[in-house]
Amino acid sequence: MKVAVIVFPGSNCDRDTQWALEHSGCKAELVWHTEGNLQGYGAVLVPGGFSYGDYLRAGALAKFSPIMAEVKRLANQGYPVVGICNGFQILTEAGLLPGALLANTNLHYTCKDVFLRVERTDLPFTSAYQPGQILQLPIAHGEGRYYADEATLHQLEEGRQVVFRYVEHQGHGGNPNGSLADIAGIVNQRGNVLGMMPHPERAVEDALGSVDGRGLFESLKRALEIVA
Amino acid sequence: MKFHATILIELKEGILDPQGRAVEGVLKGLGYAVEQVRVGRVLEMELEAESEAQAKETALAIAGALANPVMEVYTLEALKPLQEVL
Repeated sequence: MKVAVIVFPGSNCDRDTQWALEHSGCKAELVWHTEGNLQGYGAVLVPGGFSYGDYLRAGALAKFSPIMAEVKRLANQGYPVVGICNGFQILTEAGLLPGALLANTNLHYTCKDVFLRVERTDLPFTSAYQPGQILQLPIAHGEGRYYADEATLHQLEEGRQVVFRYVEHQGHGGNPNGSLADIAGIVNQRGNVLGMMPHPERAVEDALGSVDGRGLFESLKRALEIVA
Repeated sequence: MKFHATILIELKEGILDPQGRAVEGVLKGLGYAVEQVRVGRVLEMELEAESEAQAKETALAIAGALANPVMEVYTLEALKPLQEVL
């Protein structure tokens, strides 16, 4: 089944994401945010970038785009939905994922490689990884500090909804933005909506410095094959 | 009737506000006896409504749609007929 990559005004990782999906064997199409219909798509990717120029707050205005009703419909029906960076911000703003992304503690727009630990491999996004595997992926964001109130955080941990956590590895990395509980990526309770700040699509071939992002797209491909 | 609304959106109490911290640091450096600074956002808008009550309802609905309830609170700071503001 085809994967829809939603394009908002200001999305700038849309083509990279499409390419990474196709590189992993998925069929992927760009879908403009005013399109009303996601009929026929088996998964949705909300890519990174600066939807609506990040005016008001990162991801805040994109939630009003017509396509978001369709994204919600698919999410509620159990289709895999992934938000990367700005896409993660949009999914939290739209209420598809709990919590919010705030300005990095150091106020710096931070663009560098970080290390993540894979906390779950039983999801349609992580089946190609090993439990506890350490990934090297780039981040590029100014508002990536994951925040949720105590009750929500407790719920996330209890429900094993933290999928990726920033870790130190070989003396490098660690939490780059002040995220609570070192959270880099979470899923909803049902496990079909994933949001993550690091960019797996920027780490799918050797020339990019890491291939650790490939597993996410390969996992998604497997999941779509099972459905089909 | 036209109305002018001022909406204030702030981070919730207790949520770390690095922008406020940075401003606070500069003010302290300038010698001001400032304890804590928080940075919020002000939205000013002109609204068309039948009455002041309706304008208030609309302004609050807009504020509620634009603020993120996870991390922010909003208040309608002021609502006046537009001609009183001009």
